[in-house]
Amino acid sequence: MRAYLSVFKMRLRMELQYRGAMIGGILCQMFFGLVLVALYKTLYDGNPQPMPFSSIATYVWLQQAFFRMMLGSDSDLLDKIRSGDISYDMCRPVNMYGFYYARIMAQKFMGSIMRAVPMLILAAILPMGYGISGPASVWGLLSAIPALFLGLLCVCALENITMAFTMKTLDPRGMQGLLNLLMMTLSGNILPLTLFPDSWQKVITFFPYAQLLDAPIRLYTGDYLPVDALRVYALQGFWVIVLVSLGVAMWNANKKRMVVQGG
Amino acid sequence: MSYIEVNNLKKDFVVKKKREKGKLLRERDTVHALKEVSFSVDKGELVGYIGPNGAGKSTTVKILSGILTPDGGEVSVGGLVPYKERRAHVKNIGVVFGQRSQLWWDVPIVDSYNLLKDIYRIPQGDYEARLKELAQALQLEELMRTPLRLLSLGQRMRAELCGSLLHRPELLFLDEPTIGLDAVSKLSLREFLKWENEEYGTTIMLTTHDMEDIAALCSRVMVLGHGQKLFDGKLPDLLERFDTVRNVQVKFDVPNPNLKLPDGVEWSQSEDGIELSYEPSVLPTAQLLSILQEAGNISELTLQPENTDHLIAAMYKELDL
Amino acid sequence: MNTLRLYFKSIGMLLRSHLQYPSSFIMQTIAQLVMEGGEMLAVILIVDRFNNLKGWSGGDLYFFFGMMSVSFYLTEMFGRGITGDFPMMVRTGKLDTFLVRPRGVLTQVLCAGTDPRRITCVAVGVAALIMGSNLSDIVWTPLKALVLVESIAMSCLLILGLFMIEAIFSIFSVKSVELVNAITYGGRSACQYPIDVYPLPLRALFTVIAPFALTLHVPASWILDKPLYGWPAWTAFVTPLSGVLVFGIMTGVFHLGMRHYRSTGS
Repeated sequence: MRAYLSVFKMRLRMELQYRGAMIGGILCQMFFGLVLVALYKTLYDGNPQPMPFSSIATYVWLQQAFFRMMLGSDSDLLDKIRSGDISYDMCRPVNMYGFYYARIMAQKFMGSIMRAVPMLILAAILPMGYGISGPASVWGLLSAIPALFLGLLCVCALENITMAFTMKTLDPRGMQGLLNLLMMTLSGNILPLTLFPDSWQKVITFFPYAQLLDAPIRLYTGDYLPVDALRVYALQGFWVIVLVSLGVAMWNANKKRMVVQGG
Repeated sequence: MSYIEVNNLKKDFVVKKKREKGKLLRERDTVHALKEVSFSVDKGELVGYIGPNGAGKSTTVKILSGILTPDGGEVSVGGLVPYKERRAHVKNIGVVFGQRSQLWWDVPIVDSYNLLKDIYRIPQGDYEARLKELAQALQLEELMRTPLRLLSLGQRMRAELCGSLLHRPELLFLDEPTIGLDAVSKLSLREFLKWENEEYGTTIMLTTHDMEDIAALCSRVMVLGHGQKLFDGKLPDLLERFDTVRNVQVKFDVPNPNLKLPDGVEWSQSEDGIELSYEPSVLPTAQLLSILQEAGNISELTLQPENTDHLIAAMYKELDL
Repeated sequence: MNTLRLYFKSIGMLLRSHLQYPSSFIMQTIAQLVMEGGEMLAVILIVDRFNNLKGWSGGDLYFFFGMMSVSFYLTEMFGRGITGDFPMMVRTGKLDTFLVRPRGVLTQVLCAGTDPRRITCVAVGVAALIMGSNLSDIVWTPLKALVLVESIAMSCLLILGLFMIEAIFSIFSVKSVELVNAITYGGRSACQYPIDVYPLPLRALFTVIAPFALTLHVPASWILDKPLYGWPAWTAFVTPLSGVLVFGIMTGVFHLGMRHYRSTGS
């Protein structure tokens, strides 16, 4: 466990160094958020919807603020896989799945916290209903936090699966691109999942992609009531277990293959 | 006026320092890559340009080839100012960068040449004749359909040379052309460059760390250090100026010869005989030889070949580079 | 003319390089399809839920989306040297090799990059254009076709011009990807919807600084017979020319920047 903790700490420190990129990233994400909120505001003007506009604005801001949690893959790691240097890592006396899980989690955790905090402050002071609203209730906020953490576990497991695919095909852009883009659509980044047709939502909200940010955001905005929280956690937990087991199996298969190849 | 004229050439680079704690802006430092360098080169000369890393060699070549704009001084090549009349100028030059390729990575090299033909607007007939000639001289005929990425380092360098000479440049810049090559490749490359220079009168300027390149090719050598020209002349003159210490290995018939050496000569004895190092300016070679003969019957005597790398190291040290 | 031939010959060669790795190429092309399909899906779902956007019908929205998709991804397909690879060219010293050849730097940069994977994105855009045209019952005339082509061509130049900002920054080895993305990818995201749905500051940004409104929305609305802001017909022909203006200005700045290029390596 100490090994994973030190990997985690090292990545945290690395994330802290890219301040310039971080500020640029925040401004870019703020801009995307503004455009989307403006668009939905106009859409709502003529066609009121059952879901209040303030929820949509909040949904958009939370998605933008935690964008880094979903995308922003570890390019170091991808280079390592492509060049084959990863086989050196394979020789380390720790479980590789855990090693990379810690590494990815540090990056996503730090990257998104560092961006989310300033962004949410900025989003909170925006005037005229453009900004983010407070949580539906104190319980809504409190129940959203564990859900966000479970979402983080989920996305790290997903990314590890992508990595395993990449190691198999040695082509980081193909499979990874495909999985990432699927994630963008099905996690509610391009269009809030709450705006999908109601019949679709019933299915989509069960997908692992909806567990990342959609579930915690819905707890925050009150779309899921705090009493539903346990059900939400259970679904998230289920996916974490499934995705982690799948990832571990894939990494082990890759490791065997590598040993056989002698690479 | 000579073919290449360089007068008081200056180039500074601003380097950002690492940000110090508590300071908002990073401090900047000005590095003088070139401080008032002057020289001229005549058409058909083969010039070696040496100096330690960071001396300003690449900067000079980049200014001469029109990549960089100088901060002061005058440059002209064949009557053109490289950075002002870039396109007209580069038509007449070829550049081979040691570390970066000018050809396309994934396609057969002949396809790259074909594209270069269009880039330089070489007439078809002219192109075919020149390609045939170069392919033969550089032993590329068998490799024409091979993608660049599958070539060995030596083959790659030959392919690059071919690409940079297709348009019959008057002036060829080579940036460390023999770096990383094996002995055979080095020799054939040097031979080719000599041939190109003699056959077409192509002016060649090469930067290198390899003194053998200079010894084999260059009639003239320029030494650059700290952005200044430190030497400009023939290689033997350079050697004489800095070749202060010589080595001799000598073996006698008798195991313990009666050797009386003057002060200032260092020596050590081993199984192979006695190794001596002396300074010809202090002790003339003839005098040393007679001393050795008096000591006993000499069975073997080797004057070790001048090790130019050591020499350069000594020179850099003496010039405080 | 010679320059154009050189360009297409270079692109042909790059295409052959891409096809050296066919499985990767196919996979990535499919990924692009999924991406642009996802964007299109978002528009379809918005139309499904809201029916119209400030008086613009679903067909109109698909048409705008298609115009933007086609322009943006044609630019990325043929202008990859500027839209993606330029910072790498500076870093690796590739730019030096361009400077020692008797051709324009920009020409050679454009000759050195293509992204054929974007073909599926362009295809999605074309599908959206056809869908929008049918749903909105556009009556095509030669003049409308001409304006369509002009608008797409000018939008491409505009997008190329905007991506050149990043290129110019990278000449001075300043990293600006995120900031420039806000105006390029952000511009695409925002301006795939009609400009008049946005509040004044955003409208001003996309009319004056990154004039997608002029190259894309004004002519597209005219084609849809719903002139933007009720502007007269001639504006549909004239305003797109702002694309070539932006491109011209950025080209000028680019060349100014190249004078201060300091190259890399020893």
